[in-house]
Amino acid sequence: MRFRLSDRQVGVLFMLPLLLAVALFLVWPIVEAVRLSFVRYNPLRPDDQPFVGLDNYLFVLEDPLFWESFRQALVWTGVSTVAQAAIGVGLALLLHQPLRGINAFRGLLLFPYIVPTVVIALNWRWLFNAEIGIVNHLLLSAGIISERVAWLSTPDMAMASAILLNVWKYTPFVVIVVLARLQTIPTELYDAARVDGAGALRRFRDITLPQLAEVLAVVVVFRTIWTFNKFEEIYLLTRGGPGTSTYNLALYAFDQAMANLRMGVGAASGVIMLALLLAGSLLYIRLTGFGREDRAA
Amino acid sequence: MAEQISRRAALGSALAAAGALAAPAIAQTRERVARVWGEPGPYVGVFTNGLNEWAQRYAPGLRFEAEQIAWDQVYVKLTTDLAARRPPALISVESPIAYQLAAEGLLEPVEDVNRAIRAAERLVDGFRIDDFGTWKGTQYAVPLHHQGCLFIAQSDVLEEAGLSDPANWTWQDLLNAARAIQQKRPGMAGFTMALGRNLCGDYHIGQFIWQAGGLTWDPARNFETVFNSPATIEAYEFIKELYAYMPRSAVEFSFLQVVDQHVTGRTAMSLYWGRTMGRAADEARPIYEKMEYYLNPAHPRTGARWSWTDINGWVLPRRDNPFLREAKEALAHVMNSTEWMARYSASLFPNVGPVFKDQAAAPALQQHPIYQAKKRSVDVIFTGFVPHACNSGFELRKGISPLAGIAHGRNVWSQVAQRMLLNNESARAAVEWGHRQFEDIRRENRRLLG
Repeated sequence: MRFRLSDRQVGVLFMLPLLLAVALFLVWPIVEAVRLSFVRYNPLRPDDQPFVGLDNYLFVLEDPLFWESFRQALVWTGVSTVAQAAIGVGLALLLHQPLRGINAFRGLLLFPYIVPTVVIALNWRWLFNAEIGIVNHLLLSAGIISERVAWLSTPDMAMASAILLNVWKYTPFVVIVVLARLQTIPTELYDAARVDGAGALRRFRDITLPQLAEVLAVVVVFRTIWTFNKFEEIYLLTRGGPGTSTYNLALYAFDQAMANLRMGVGAASGVIMLALLLAGSLLYIRLTGFGREDRAA
Repeated sequence: MAEQISRRAALGSALAAAGALAAPAIAQTRERVARVWGEPGPYVGVFTNGLNEWAQRYAPGLRFEAEQIAWDQVYVKLTTDLAARRPPALISVESPIAYQLAAEGLLEPVEDVNRAIRAAERLVDGFRIDDFGTWKGTQYAVPLHHQGCLFIAQSDVLEEAGLSDPANWTWQDLLNAARAIQQKRPGMAGFTMALGRNLCGDYHIGQFIWQAGGLTWDPARNFETVFNSPATIEAYEFIKELYAYMPRSAVEFSFLQVVDQHVTGRTAMSLYWGRTMGRAADEARPIYEKMEYYLNPAHPRTGARWSWTDINGWVLPRRDNPFLREAKEALAHVMNSTEWMARYSASLFPNVGPVFKDQAAAPALQQHPIYQAKKRSVDVIFTGFVPHACNSGFELRKGISPLAGIAHGRNVWSQVAQRMLLNNESARAAVEWGHRQFEDIRRENRRLLG
């Protein structure tokens, strides 16, 4: 007897590895985080996990540090994402020019993106060290500043420095995606616009930007999610300090779980972050009209 | 057919039986690794070499492997590995954490090891075995080393500023000296301490609180939270005054930055353990030549010079630790050897103070070049500070507290300083905030107090 699979069964078979991976690395951790958010769990006593209902969520929502971290997370995410999108589009337009050796520049631009975050953050700590850092040394030598700037030691400067690092590291991602889209825009559109007398600004506004709209929507959603969740850069650069001035929600969740030995509270913070990001993403996609043409077609 | 199957079955059974019989032999030849956690620095590596000497002789196939934990990462490492039920075989740990883990019931009693190494008889004057990690009468730690946080000054800078002998200074003298140095040498900080939200910040600040007579919890009153006393507020106000003569970035300083600051000549005075002298000897000879250690400046009213002291011992996680017997025997082997213990202390001289008399008197320490060149300072580091030794788990030597380790995990002491210095809260308001945090810790962990 020959064993024969239907097309549908073959399709399921091909999807199986992905489904397993998603279940193992995505669904299960989320389910586990939700479960943890309803128990009291001191990591030093892993066998003792009593159910506490909504206590962990109430704790988080009543904690002033959570709201401070939330506000700071909005600043950190908002400024970083807008700056990355603006600089990324600008750089992509420059790199789209048919110049000799442009591919070398395109390659070099990826450098910040491919270097591990831990290497970058530790280097930046040295560069921005107020006492012996080279940034202050150069600025002082050039006469631009008269006394050392406490880059990581004052709340405002520390947040600005953290954002700067994030923008520097992740703008190349925006450039790659936008550049790829730019290369697919039909040149006839620009030729026709030129014939009609449209200037560079007009061509950008009426052709380039609308063509980039969908890809930018995706980029902004991804960058927002990734930046909002970002932990290691801030942790390695400032540990959330000075004070709690660069805490975001990821750091808050980590601190609650590890330093404060409240794993359930940390998990509740994570679940709240998940809900916030889900709501924010849906709202953004709805506002930008992403995928509307596809549905209409 | 039936005959064939039975042959196969016989062959399979024979193979399975052979495998089962060979399993212990295979297991014996396979190397087992017992992890040993310790502070960054060569000394844990030296100790681990001693443990491996025992393993080679008495436990073939076992290897001890040192894992260094950055000071500020102790809690992350502890919580993740204990939660994952894969603890190390041995942990070299400061006593507040030892008290906490002991109270949680996570540690193996070690009276047998302390007896085997005659710890009580050999211990240097001023320390008791109980100081290292005894909880409710049971010993959970084997004494390993001590390190007192002390006052360090550059004698040439002090002379240039016309300042007196720091050995007799009070807080006011310290403040005046920091001011005088900053005026005399623009660009150099008068004084440096850690004020970052980290363990070092907690430790440095704690000393001032105790010198003023403050406490966090009072062991005599069932660990009632007493942080918001006038003495604590006075200590924080003094730190605020001192901050005017520190680098602005001191609010993010931890261990390494304070040492960096001193050995690069960017401060004339600082608070630290013995490592500053060792690093200066290695990297900055002119600084080393003029460097001297003193007891901490005394509080003008109490006269106290308390020093935050690492009272560091070996502890053995009890649960999920398959190496309890081997670890205990190997510990006894190394700690009964004066030579290994002297090598341990000499490996980062004068950072890790000897805990045993025979170790302190060993030629490897007595004839160390730094000891020969800086006898007065090293005596302060190794023995002079001992009457002033206490820490947050043993505040003012009034009683062992299992809560301090938890508070260090949250860096409450340094967070109070940051609120005062960065958020411009008054010392009183910041201390009240800290009091509430400490009270929360007490309430959440009341079960540990018994």
